[in-house]
Amino acid sequence: MASKTAAKDIITLRGSAAIVSEFFGYAANSILYNRGVYPEESFGKVKKYGLPLLLTKDEGVKSFIANLNAQLSEWLEAGKLQRVVLVIMSMNTGEVLERWNFSIETDNEVVEKGVSREKSDKEIMREIQAIMRQIASSITYLPCLDEQCVFDVLAYTDTDVAVPFTWMESSDAKLIANPQMVKLHSFDTKIHKVNTLVSYKNDEEELDDEE
Amino acid sequence: MILRTPAPKRARPIEPAPIIESPPVGSDHRQLAIYEDPSSAGPARREPSQQSEHMLCTYQCRQMVKADFLDALSNAEKQVQDYQSKLAELNDNFGKADEERKTFREKLSYVEQELAAAKGREQALHDQLLKEVNDSHERLKKELELSSKLQAKLENEQNLRKKAESTAAAAEDKAKELEAKLGHISKSIEKEKKRFNNELAQLNRDSKFSITKITVDLEKMEFRAKSSEQEVELLRKQQEDLQSKFSECLHQKSELEKRLTSLSFEDDSPKESDVLVKHLQEELRNYESEVREARKLKSAHDSIELMKEKLLEEKSRRERVELQLPKLQEYELKINKLEDELSAWKLMIQDIPGVSCCDDVPLRISALQKEVIDNLKKLGEVNAHLKQMQVVLDKTQLDKQKTETEAALAKEKADRLEAEVKRMNLMLSAVSEERNMLKIAIEDFKSKNEQAGGHASSSAMQELESSLLKREPYIKELEGDLFAQKDINTRQQDEIKSLHDRLNSEARKVKSLERESDRLRSEIFLLESKLGHGDFSAANTKVLRMVNTLAVGNDAKQTIEALQSELQRTKEKLQALEEYKSQSGNSGKLVDSYMSGKVAQLKEQIATLEKREERYKTVFADRISVFRRACCELFGYKIVMDERQRPNGIPVTRFTLQSIYAMNDDEKLEFEYESGNTNIVENGYTSTSEISQQVDIFVRKMNSIPAFTANLTVESFNRRTLS
Repeated sequence: MASKTAAKDIITLRGSAAIVSEFFGYAANSILYNRGVYPEESFGKVKKYGLPLLLTKDEGVKSFIANLNAQLSEWLEAGKLQRVVLVIMSMNTGEVLERWNFSIETDNEVVEKGVSREKSDKEIMREIQAIMRQIASSITYLPCLDEQCVFDVLAYTDTDVAVPFTWMESSDAKLIANPQMVKLHSFDTKIHKVNTLVSYKNDEEELDDEE
Repeated sequence: MILRTPAPKRARPIEPAPIIESPPVGSDHRQLAIYEDPSSAGPARREPSQQSEHMLCTYQCRQMVKADFLDALSNAEKQVQDYQSKLAELNDNFGKADEERKTFREKLSYVEQELAAAKGREQALHDQLLKEVNDSHERLKKELELSSKLQAKLENEQNLRKKAESTAAAAEDKAKELEAKLGHISKSIEKEKKRFNNELAQLNRDSKFSITKITVDLEKMEFRAKSSEQEVELLRKQQEDLQSKFSECLHQKSELEKRLTSLSFEDDSPKESDVLVKHLQEELRNYESEVREARKLKSAHDSIELMKEKLLEEKSRRERVELQLPKLQEYELKINKLEDELSAWKLMIQDIPGVSCCDDVPLRISALQKEVIDNLKKLGEVNAHLKQMQVVLDKTQLDKQKTETEAALAKEKADRLEAEVKRMNLMLSAVSEERNMLKIAIEDFKSKNEQAGGHASSSAMQELESSLLKREPYIKELEGDLFAQKDINTRQQDEIKSLHDRLNSEARKVKSLERESDRLRSEIFLLESKLGHGDFSAANTKVLRMVNTLAVGNDAKQTIEALQSELQRTKEKLQALEEYKSQSGNSGKLVDSYMSGKVAQLKEQIATLEKREERYKTVFADRISVFRRACCELFGYKIVMDERQRPNGIPVTRFTLQSIYAMNDDEKLEFEYESGNTNIVENGYTSTSEISQQVDIFVRKMNSIPAFTANLTVESFNRRTLS
């Protein structure tokens, strides 16, 4: 984990992987709460990144996200993870409504040589805080999800990654045709850089259809 | 040499004595009086005696005169010598002046040559400048032509782009409209088709089924009704008879009971009572059987009533069907209409190029989408090309401006050089005039020198020297100006060349950089759109999905809910049935032929499914045993597979291999298989030195389990055969 020296914070590969996987867990919870995938009463408030965030109390979802984070952390330490996508789909039709895309750029020198980098923890927390705020404010421009929705998580990895037992290779990347895209902030631990982007189904097509 | 002693006298001719002029320098301006000797005869007559008297001086006078004369002579000689020396000096000076003149002449000629060379160079420079100006003019013209052509091309490209954009937009709109329409149409068509087909089929089936069923049931029911009515009448009669009999029996029974009670008190012959009892028991049994038959009849009666009710229901259903028959006709009309619409849509589909049936519509849509994407790509490329052209145009305009400025500068330079050339010409003319003057002066000096000797030459020499002295700085100034001009010209030429080269290289760099920036921008845009869309390259990336227990849980929940609802419904049905049972009476079974038939059918299905399952199991067992035997015979290993669970709960498949050439049962290999990875498990056999060596070589170093097993098989075989 990152250890504080007198003036700068040293970030190791393991620490960076932990930061990114932790971020993903909180971001997933925030998205599920803000998009109404699960009812509000199933979430509890915690303080993280200097913000009040909501975490699910549902044991099933909790264990799912915990297992996911463990696997993501492993892949991040190996430098094999390229992207993580949280997909929100309609329960009835299975249509993909939103894709929350977290693309990851890894510093291969750190993975190969095991060197560490220096960056202030506060700076990283500030960057993550900005992304969390943007996720919370995304409800202002994202279309309303009127129907019951479910979520799924896709991981884009290198081809030489061994597929774990609880995962399977999927030929369907659950894409949205002609999506609207909104690019959010990114954060950088100097080892992993995470760019966030949300793409959603174009609402204008539905309005045209209705007309 | 002045003789000290006078020379003897000589007879002098009677001639007028030459007048010897004294030299101007250092000479006494004394004139010699000529003494004419009286002794000398001559034509000239002497004056009278006065002169002779006068002349007849004494010897002293003569000696005095001689001495004076000699002095004068010596002085004259001295003067002559002085003059001669002076003349020699003057001649020397003249020679020097001549040499100087020659040197100056040479210098003049050298200067003239240099001037001519400078003039030639000036001319050459001038020509070069003119050439450069002409070249720059020509280049300007060419570039202007190029720029005009490029502008024309740009306009054409812009027009083309506008047209392409408009066509692309129109095509996009059309494609979108078509897509939407096609989508709508296809969806609606499919839906309606499906719906109507289903409804049709269902209705047909229902109607047919119901009709046939109804008719059959009707007939059955009628027949049954008739038969049941007959039976009912018979049964009623029987029942009445039986009831009467039953009442008689009851009456008899009561009498018998009375008798029995009375008999029990009286103690009559036990044999008669036994016989009576037996007889009564027999009658009781008969009556009980009759009662049972009556109950059966009653149940049959109830069933008949049920059948009647069912008949009524069937009749009502028939009426409903008959009522729905016009609706059927309406549905048929609707179906016809829909079929007409379908045919119209099919015709429309046929109108769409490249589409022959409904299945082709999505393909066509995808093809149209691809075309739209290609068109957009082309549009992007055209835009990029346009941008490049614009960049090139801007560059050419900048170059044009630069060349215009350069041409203006070159013109100014040329004007300046012309002015300088004129100035040089003027200087040359002035120098040539001065040279001519110098020549004239030299000639004058020469002539003067020839005519007058040293006196005139000194003044001319002085003049020459002064004029030369005056001209020297002027010549030096000219030379300096020439050199400076040469330097300036060479420097300017070098500067111009270097500037040109720099300009060209910079222009090329800028062009290449702008092209690269446009390319990178387009790449970035494409990549961002791909990223946002979620595209990936299968060569570098694979998409993994976690087994979503939540979704499974949701599905399970849904199924559970559905099952629960079904359970509730069945429970309600059961309750209703039980109530109905309780209403109809607990004495006797419910004869429902329809329900029992259905139950029998289901039981038959279950039996067939179970038989099928057993058959599959036996077939699978046979197959797997054949496969295992084949694997054993082909690869030489008996394979046993079993599922185990690790302490962390993850299930793992374990394979135990035993070679057919093994010496004992302990020679077993164990492998664990988990999600595509096979790992060897250490046991007593693999920890032996021989086997562990082979494991290290084949499995750990070469990562090949087949090689290890093959090697082990060969070794075991060799051991076996040798033993």
